[in-house]
Amino acid sequence: MTITLTINGHTGTYEIDPGEKLLDLLRREGHMGVKKGCGSGDCGACAVLLDGRAVNSCLIFAAKVDGCEIVTAEGLSDGETLHPVQEAFLDEGAVQCGYCTPGMMISTVDLLTRNPDPTEEEIREGLSGNLCRCTGYVKQIRAVQRAAEAMRGGDRNDRA
Amino acid sequence: MSTIETYHRPSTVDEAWARLTEGGKHARLVGGGVDVALFDPPEITTLVDVAGALSTTIERTENGLNIGAGATLTAVLESPIAAEYLGGILVDVLRRVASPLLRNAATVGGSLASTHPWSDVITLFLALDAHVTRYGGAYESAPLAELIKDRGTMNRRIITGVLLPSPAPQTVVSFEKFVRTGFDVGMLNCACRLTLEDGACTDVRVVFGGTPDVGGRRDAVESRLTGARLDAATIDAVADLAATDVPARDDVRASAAYRRVLASAGVRRCLRRMAQEAGEAT
Repeated sequence: MTITLTINGHTGTYEIDPGEKLLDLLRREGHMGVKKGCGSGDCGACAVLLDGRAVNSCLIFAAKVDGCEIVTAEGLSDGETLHPVQEAFLDEGAVQCGYCTPGMMISTVDLLTRNPDPTEEEIREGLSGNLCRCTGYVKQIRAVQRAAEAMRGGDRNDRA
Repeated sequence: MSTIETYHRPSTVDEAWARLTEGGKHARLVGGGVDVALFDPPEITTLVDVAGALSTTIERTENGLNIGAGATLTAVLESPIAAEYLGGILVDVLRRVASPLLRNAATVGGSLASTHPWSDVITLFLALDAHVTRYGGAYESAPLAELIKDRGTMNRRIITGVLLPSPAPQTVVSFEKFVRTGFDVGMLNCACRLTLEDGACTDVRVVFGGTPDVGGRRDAVESRLTGARLDAATIDAVADLAATDVPARDDVRASAAYRRVLASAGVRRCLRRMAQEAGEAT
């Protein structure tokens, strides 16, 4: 069957199997930042933005997203200019093996879009669907805080 | 390798029903799809995606809170209207269901249709006396407590909406779940709801889920609470009773003995919070 999809701003038609998962379609189309981890919605490595909300692409049927807009981690940057979330993850060194990082960033974008000034607890909750087996969930938290600050315009002193 | 050969995206409930009946036992309904995608049952060859046919509206009416079955758990969680319902119990519970990534896809209808034994949504909705509207050639509306007795039909009818009835004044509710990690499947969950009339408990609901069976009310525990004051002695007695009354069994997540302890602790915590909220001395 054929679906139409906008991936990282580019609209195209794709031939898919009726039972194919969005994860497999995206990787087949070269979006390798979408990582295949658990395949069961536990690790979040495959997270993408589906019409603006972060989802596990391993548990979304490709046929379901006909007509939708998908953003992968690669689509966060504007050309050579990194998204503030990408910058923050780099600046804080919130990466070791890097496998979880794209999904973490996608969840971060979803979180900060709706909650520009999250508490640490809210950040931990926002990233609760993204597992990391290298780090201790410290630098990622700092990265989200840094990204939030940057996206708000650097107003750290305004926080209560 | 998926066995799915056909994926329908009907735009009406009638059409969805036609596709489902056409496909017979080899067809499965898809709401958010996460459940079907996860388990990928080998006997299923046809998927009928009802997302385009279902309402996603969340609205308050004179009868209560109406939730379209197509609404995602996140949509309910973020709804200011839903947040006003019974002191924000929906927000309190749904923020502890799965992860944001899953809640952004999973729907209310799908959460009920899947009838997972560990479902927090089902346990809570049973305590809230949820009414479910569904379609199976004709519309029917019935209490979730009735429909869930026949679990086999839950994903063979198209759930179109849920009504959480308006609570009486002085109604309090609380929920407790026991998990090892953040969005793990719980070892047991518990929801309690009651109305205080002149200090006495009325209209009592006590529900345990993940026992490891799907949520169900406990008549003996509810009877023990009914008419009693919500004081420390009552709470202790009810907690003791819950430990013996809960239909606990062993499974991979917990032993029956441990579940009995959890049931006692869960109902005690719920009732204490409810007493505190109602200003009762415990």
